[in-house]
Amino acid sequence: MSMDQNRASELDRHLVEFAQLLRSVGLKVSPSEISDATEGLALIGLVDRSKVEAVLQATLVKNVQHIFAFKEAFRAFFASLEQKEAWQKDVAQKAAQWDEKIESTRQDLRFQENELDISEEQRAVYASLPEKDKQRLRDFLEKSSKGTRSGIPVDHSYQPMVERVLRGSLEYWRKKLNEEDEPILQPGSSDGILSEVDRALREREVEVLSRDLKKISSEEWPEVIRLIRRLSQRLASQVTRRYRAARRRGGLDMRSTLRRNLRYGGVLVERSYRSRRKGRLKIVLLCDISGSMLKYSEFIWQFIYGLSSAVSGIKTFAFGESLIPLTGKFQRGQTFEAMVKDALMVSGKEWGGGTNLAKALETMQKKFPSVLSKQTLLLIVSDAQTLEGEKAAALLAGIRRQVRQVLWLNTLPERRWLETPHVKAFLPSCDMYECYTLGHLTQILSKQI
Amino acid sequence: MSDRMTLDQFEQALEAIGYISERDDRIALTTFLATELGKPLLVSGPAGVGKTEIAKALSQIFGAPLIRLQCYEGLDETKALYEWNYQRQLLKIQMGREHLQEADLFSTDYLLPRPLLQALLSEERTVLLIDEIDKTDSEFEAFLFELLGEFQVTIPEMGTIKAKERPIVVLTSNGERELSDGLKRRCIFLHVEPPSVNKEVRILRAKIPDLPERLALEVARAVNVLRDRLALNKIPSVSETMDWAKALLVMGKTGLDPAWVDATLTLLLKSQDDVELFYREMGAERLLFESSKVELGEKHVHGSK
Repeated sequence: MSMDQNRASELDRHLVEFAQLLRSVGLKVSPSEISDATEGLALIGLVDRSKVEAVLQATLVKNVQHIFAFKEAFRAFFASLEQKEAWQKDVAQKAAQWDEKIESTRQDLRFQENELDISEEQRAVYASLPEKDKQRLRDFLEKSSKGTRSGIPVDHSYQPMVERVLRGSLEYWRKKLNEEDEPILQPGSSDGILSEVDRALREREVEVLSRDLKKISSEEWPEVIRLIRRLSQRLASQVTRRYRAARRRGGLDMRSTLRRNLRYGGVLVERSYRSRRKGRLKIVLLCDISGSMLKYSEFIWQFIYGLSSAVSGIKTFAFGESLIPLTGKFQRGQTFEAMVKDALMVSGKEWGGGTNLAKALETMQKKFPSVLSKQTLLLIVSDAQTLEGEKAAALLAGIRRQVRQVLWLNTLPERRWLETPHVKAFLPSCDMYECYTLGHLTQILSKQI
Repeated sequence: MSDRMTLDQFEQALEAIGYISERDDRIALTTFLATELGKPLLVSGPAGVGKTEIAKALSQIFGAPLIRLQCYEGLDETKALYEWNYQRQLLKIQMGREHLQEADLFSTDYLLPRPLLQALLSEERTVLLIDEIDKTDSEFEAFLFELLGEFQVTIPEMGTIKAKERPIVVLTSNGERELSDGLKRRCIFLHVEPPSVNKEVRILRAKIPDLPERLALEVARAVNVLRDRLALNKIPSVSETMDWAKALLVMGKTGLDPAWVDATLTLLLKSQDDVELFYREMGAERLLFESSKVELGEKHVHGSK
């Protein structure tokens, strides 16, 4: 190859940078793939932009879902210099504004001249409050700084307590200001190109697949329903695949082999294998229908319906304050709400109330012990906001030992898990996945089951 | 044909054997890249867009025999790579009990090569098509790593067998299951989408020489609308488009009309759900109306469904 050494290393540097950009938008790019890209470019040449793009796509992108992100990254990375500078300037400006905002909160939120230990997000919440409410928080800090306790002025040891109060208040504001629960975070990276790609990808979010399930409008449901059906059919076929594949494996069964070959005078002509027969997977669905999950009820219903029409013998339960068995209650054309309301009438409870997973699990163990066996896949759809969380976690740990797998689809975004009480307690006894878009559901089904 | 060719030559060769591709679909460039870099080509896309055809085309261009491994659930090494010929080994044992070495039994004489091993043992270059890899389980996929990375396999009783001539490997996937990162890393990736109207017309004209230009165009436009506007469970494949065009040709049609669309629809839509969906949301007349508006070069925009 007669390529100039300098030019080659320049090209390598660009490729590595480009690969890093791809990684930061979610693609997995390995060094061997970068080397493939280099070889490919050496072969095809750098003259034709669309050919270069084709070579890079063929060598670096290995997933259909990533093609869009790749195209945007390519467009931004190989944009004109002026364009890149404009993006960079834009980002720098936003970052400066953000820094200023955060810096001002450092000045405002102090306890006896000490800075408070609160997160960036909470600071941002404070910064976006109306002036009146800001003043109220500042007054609180001011008063508590000068406060006394049984006549003695408070000292710095009271700071953690004050911080806790402030955090609670800011958390309240975050939820109030931001009902959709979007993250209030830094305006992204300080890199102009990356933020441009991010922007393009966010715009793409209007696509059904990556949108929050509670925001899908009624006109789009037919499409979503078809997608869920397809996913549940796939799930069903995987259930049978696992069974069949397992049956073929296993070592040689000496005893039965010898017996079968007695008629050949002990010469082992036919072999027979020990079959490790796993029972067919039994799916038990446990869906949260409490108030906090109301927004997702359409999704849950479609999921249950799709799954139960594809997999036979699925057991379905809903739970709010108590456990409501739903198996055998589906009727075509009936809405989820009507069905659950029917079921609730029998048990005399209310739809959309509080959540008590502990009670639900307990009832399940007592009244329906047969559904929990070694063949059971327990599928929980819930946001994990429940009463008696610790008890529920302990019960779940017990159930985990009884069943093959516990899969938890959490409609709460993963970044909120640790702030939600009890999620941590549930984590060791189940495989928990965030699941609030169809994209998530697709991913979970394709890798998990 | 010489081993080395340029991209232009490769494109011409594809054209010459009647494989129709376009600049936009990047099939030619990506396939060329895979053969030149000596890497397996992983082709994904919906059923019936011509993934398997790529392997057949390569086999023709390079004059290399096509060895095909059709994957299915539960496929394992004994079906894909090799199996010992137990009956023959037993006969051998019976015949020469006294002076028999173990090595005698585990030699190539007693080996039944399956497609993967056939491709490695072949004296000439071959095209190895591993069709619908997503149907196998992940264990089998992991088992392929050695073959795809180093073009060799290890047989415990015999040692490592290296490819005499590196085969051109084409894997296809319908995306039924996410493939492992390890497999994808070793491959060059090509995603094939349903053809544009323009490309489909060219395919129809090439495969059915008698087909009048106008009918080909109307058929291709109508199929494009079906794929594009309706969320079908299974979109019509290129071969189904061809069947439809042939049927219309046999019946002496020169253009489409609603009555004939109704009569022949089942050649395109093969499930009751899809037929119902078609009549609920579109119907023959609207299909023809919509397709008359389709631009010739319009690309089928296929999102990540």
